[in-house]
Order: sequence, then structure tokens, then C-alpha cells
Amino acid sequence: MQSNIKYSAARIARLGRKGCDTMESLGRAGIFLAQSAVGVPSREGWSLWLRQMHFVGVLSLAIVLVSGLFIGMVLALQGYTILVDFGAEQALGQMVALSLLRELAPVVAALLFAGRAGSALTAEIGLMKATEQLTSMEMIGVDPLRRVVAPRLWAGFVSLPILTIGFSVVGIWGGYLVGVEWLGVFEGSYWSNMQASVSFINDIGNGIIKSLVFALVVTWIAVFQGYDLVPTSEGISRATTRTVVYSSLAVLGLDFVLTAVMFGGL
Amino acid sequence: MFDNISKTLFFKTLRYACNQCYVCRNKTTMKVIQPMTDVPFIEIEDLYFSRGDHEIFRGINMTIPRGKVTAIMGPSGTGKTTLLKLIGGQLTPDRGRVRIDGQDVHRLSRKALFTLRKRMGMLFQSGALFSDLDVYENVAFPLRVHTNLPDPMVRDLVMLKLQAVGLRGARNLSPAELSGGMARRVALARAVALDPELILYDEPFVGQDPISMGVLVQLIKRLNQALALTSVIVSHDIKETLSIADYLYLIADGQVVAYGTPHTLDANQDPRVSQFIHGEPDGPVPFHYPAETFYRDILGQASAVKAR
Ligand SMILES: Nc1ncnc2c1ncn2[C@@H]1O[C@H](COP(=O)(O)OP(=O)(O)OP(=O)(O)O)[C@@H](O)[C@H]1O
Ligand SMILES: [Mg+2]
Repeated sequence: MQSNIKYSAARIARLGRKGCDTMESLGRAGIFLAQSAVGVPSREGWSLWLRQMHFVGVLSLAIVLVSGLFIGMVLALQGYTILVDFGAEQALGQMVALSLLRELAPVVAALLFAGRAGSALTAEIGLMKATEQLTSMEMIGVDPLRRVVAPRLWAGFVSLPILTIGFSVVGIWGGYLVGVEWLGVFEGSYWSNMQASVSFINDIGNGIIKSLVFALVVTWIAVFQGYDLVPTSEGISRATTRTVVYSSLAVLGLDFVLTAVMFGGL
Repeated sequence: MFDNISKTLFFKTLRYACNQCYVCRNKTTMKVIQPMTDVPFIEIEDLYFSRGDHEIFRGINMTIPRGKVTAIMGPSGTGKTTLLKLIGGQLTPDRGRVRIDGQDVHRLSRKALFTLRKRMGMLFQSGALFSDLDVYENVAFPLRVHTNLPDPMVRDLVMLKLQAVGLRGARNLSPAELSGGMARRVALARAVALDPELILYDEPFVGQDPISMGVLVQLIKRLNQALALTSVIVSHDIKETLSIADYLYLIADGQVVAYGTPHTLDANQDPRVSQFIHGEPDGPVPFHYPAETFYRDILGQASAVKAR
């Protein structure tokens, strides 16, 4: 009996400690974000940022565009088989464009970005930490938050929305390829239905807001996991996994919340 | 046109370059006049530090005089690297304080700490070169971020430093292409790139062949004399260290066990000191990390069985 009480007390204590740890690391992450995101970009800062735009953004372009193409093509194929039953295949353009702009492009691009760029950011910063490069930078009198973290954070924040736009454009074109060229939907109705139903602010604007939020969250998780990890090879591999898992969950969860606020009439 | 760091750097470099050439190097009178009495540059008072349950320092007191070479020695794992990190403000002590030039390192704001760090250089035990920059850019890094010198001048300074460590020809290699000893020499060149007032060397001689070892010893000595640098050396190479150190601290078991000039320490009768200085395996300085007795560890189970 007594051992039972002791056992549950220990469990509660462990739960409490875990809660405290989580809160503490959330706090650390917040301070970390505040410290690295501010700061006037110098001329050097710009060139560092451009360099990271290349690594984070340009190098993710291929995977994002190819995925966008396939997703647009699949959407058109699936949409056609359903719409044609109702004789509504003329609305294919509208369906493809709305699902891409509102949902699929921000979410899928963010997931791909977490896997392609986020994990690389974590591993890179983590390895710099493990080999004492960050400490030696501090000893030279340069703040690694400014020099290493900030350019990567901003590069991620800027490049994901651009990638998302690319994803949508290629996806819509993929839908056109399958729907119009292959399945024979009338080209004029594909485009004009799309034009008539897509609203710039409600659909494109909200999609971009979503992808800005995802960009912030994914890059933040990635650089923080890299900066905060235990500097061993095991620590790096765990942190890389955590980056992908946490970012994917955060993206999907936030997507629900944002959709509810934007389109759900909340 | 130039900021302050660039200006002082320029004059220091002139002096340094002057001391490099053969005319001056052999003239003993060329030495910068050193203060007769020792002015403390780093003061460590009653420092306590522990990692988890392992108490690394239990009340360390040290004074490191300005413009002198001070060596810190002690058995592996006593916390010499940790001490350098405490001096550099990367770790915070549990108690006590470290003052550099009158400033309490651990009470400074982040910004003030970074300003202070511009005045010091540190050679890391692992080298810690930036892997995304080549050798040249690694050495140029402190110059680029802290001065606004024009490119040709940065180039000359970098070449001077690389020449001093014998790696001018390796300037285009990336850190991954260097051997361990070469990487440490590049790291040394980077640590002295800004000609800081204080340099902390963590094991500068590890992995060097006898020739480059001799060159490094001379380099450290010369930097110290020509620029009146304060140098702190952590090293296990007793002969080399004693040959250039003005003062020597011996730490073991979380405390300073001996302090003095190499000469007085050599004559020191304390068995702990002579054991270390003369490298005898058996003696009062423990070679082992704190542990249960060897007997218990090896025979622990057997003796437990026997006891039953
Ligand atoms: N990151 C760390 N986490 C926990 N303990 C550590 C860590 N780094 C060092 N230690 C412990 O601190 C003690 C001192 O380590 P330190 O690296 O300062 O030794 P050292 O005197 O420089 O040794 P060496 O001469 O071998 O370089 C060691 O006992 C080590 O176990
Ligand atoms: Mg060490």
C-alpha cells in the first residue's frame, strides 16, 4: 500500500519535473528567437543571408517543385473522376486551385521544407556546436546568434513562402496538364472558372499568411534544436529527428487552427 | 578613417614585423620595457565550480600578472580547460569571481563581455576552426569582423601570421584537409590575428613535431616580449613550458598546490610538486579519476558473494 503511494508520488513528481523542463525549454527557445531575430543587418549580414538563401531556399527548389507538379496532377485526376459524375468537370480548375492555394501548397511545402532544409540546419548548427566552432566564435567576440543563427532564421522565413508560391504555380500547371491536355476538360473553363472563384485576399493572401507562420515555426524549431542540442554525435542525430517530428506536428496542428480561424468562420 | 582597433593593430604589427627581422631579433636591447613590478591582469578569487556532483574547483585563488607568461599545469582532467573557459566567461562559477583588468567577467552584460573578448585570444584544445572557411579566411575572420582594414592590409596581416606558424603555403586548404598539428597552428594564427592583450593557450604543443614545437615556443615567447602580451599557457610539455614561463601554477584536486617561478618550483620539496615536475608515476598526485577502490570495483561481486 505504502509503496503504491510512494510509486504514484514519484510518478507525479516526474510529471511535474517534465512539465517544468518543457516550460523552461520553451522559455529558452523564446529568448533565443528574440535574441537572434533582432539586430540591424549590416552589409556583411546581407551577404551571409544571401548565402543561406542559396542553401536553404534554392537547393530546396527542385524537391518542392517536383512535388508540386505531382500533387497538382493527382488532384486533377482525383477531382475529375468525382466531378465528372455530377457533370461538373468544368469546375476542375477551381477545385485544383483552391485546394492548392488554401491547403496543400502551404502544408506540403512546409513538410518538405522541414525534411529537406530544417534537418540540414539542425545538423549543421549542431556540428558547429559539437566542434566548438560556436564557442570559439564567441571567444573572438562575435555573437553566434547574430552571425550563424540569424541569417539562417531569416533565410528560412523568407524562402518558404516563395517556395510555397512556386509549389502552387507548378501544381496548377500540373492540374492543367492532366485535366485539359489528357482528360479533355475544356481549356477555357479550366482557367476562367479558376479566375472567377479565386479571391486574391481570401485565398492567396491567407495561403501566404499560413506559409509565413509555418516558415517561422519550422526554421525556429530547426535552428533552436541545433543550437540547444547535446554536443555529441548521438545528440545531433536525436536533434535532427526531433526537428522533423516537431515541425511536422506543429505545421499540421497550426494548419487546423489557422484554417478554423480563416475559413471556418471562427 | 580607421577605427581604434585598426589603429592599434597597425602599430602593433609594425612592432611585431620589426621584431621578426633578423636585425632586431638578435638584439636583446630591442625588448619593450617591461614594468618592473607585476601588475595583476587576471585575478581569480575563491573560485568554486562543479559539474553535476563532481566538484572541479574548490576555492582557487590566482593572480596572473600583466605582460608575463603564466603556465598552468596539472594532471589530466583536473580542469585546466575548464579554468580557461571560466576566465573567458563561457562558464559561470558557483562561487567566487574572475576579474580581468578590473572587470568582473561574470557580472558583465552580454555586450560588455563581447567587447572584453575582443581583447583576448584563445587557442582551443581542439583547434575549432570554422569548417566553412578556408585557412586564409579563418585567420582573416577576426580582422574582418572587428576592423575595417582594406583588403590588401588584411592580406598582409594574414600572411604575416601564417608565415609565423609556417603555413603560408597552406592558405587555400580547407580545415578538413589539414592534419591535427597543422590545424592547431592555424588556430594559433587566428588567435593572435588581432594581437590581443591576453592570449589563453590550451595545449599549444600537442601533436607538434620537435621542429614546429621549437618554432611555436619561440613564437609564443616573441609575441609575449614584442607586444607585452599577457599569456596563459596550459600544457603538459614540462620542458618547453618551463623554458618560457615566468610563473607557474600547479593545480590538482580542485586547488592550487604550488605557485612560483620555474626556478623556485624546481627546488620545491613538496612531494606533489616534484612528482609532477619530474614526471614520476607514483606519488601523492592521483593519476586516476575519483573512483571506488580498484579492489572493490574488480572484486566487488566476488567479495559480495563471499560475504553472503
Ligand atoms: N561538458 C562536460 N560535462 C560534464 N563534465 C565535464 C565536461 N567537460 C569536462 N568535464 C569534466 O570536467 C573535468 C575537467 O575537465 P577539463 O577538460 O577541464 O580537464 P583538463 O584539465 O583540461 O584535462 P586535459 O589535460 O586532459 O585537457 C573532467 O573531470 C571532466 O570529466
Ligand atoms: Mg584540457
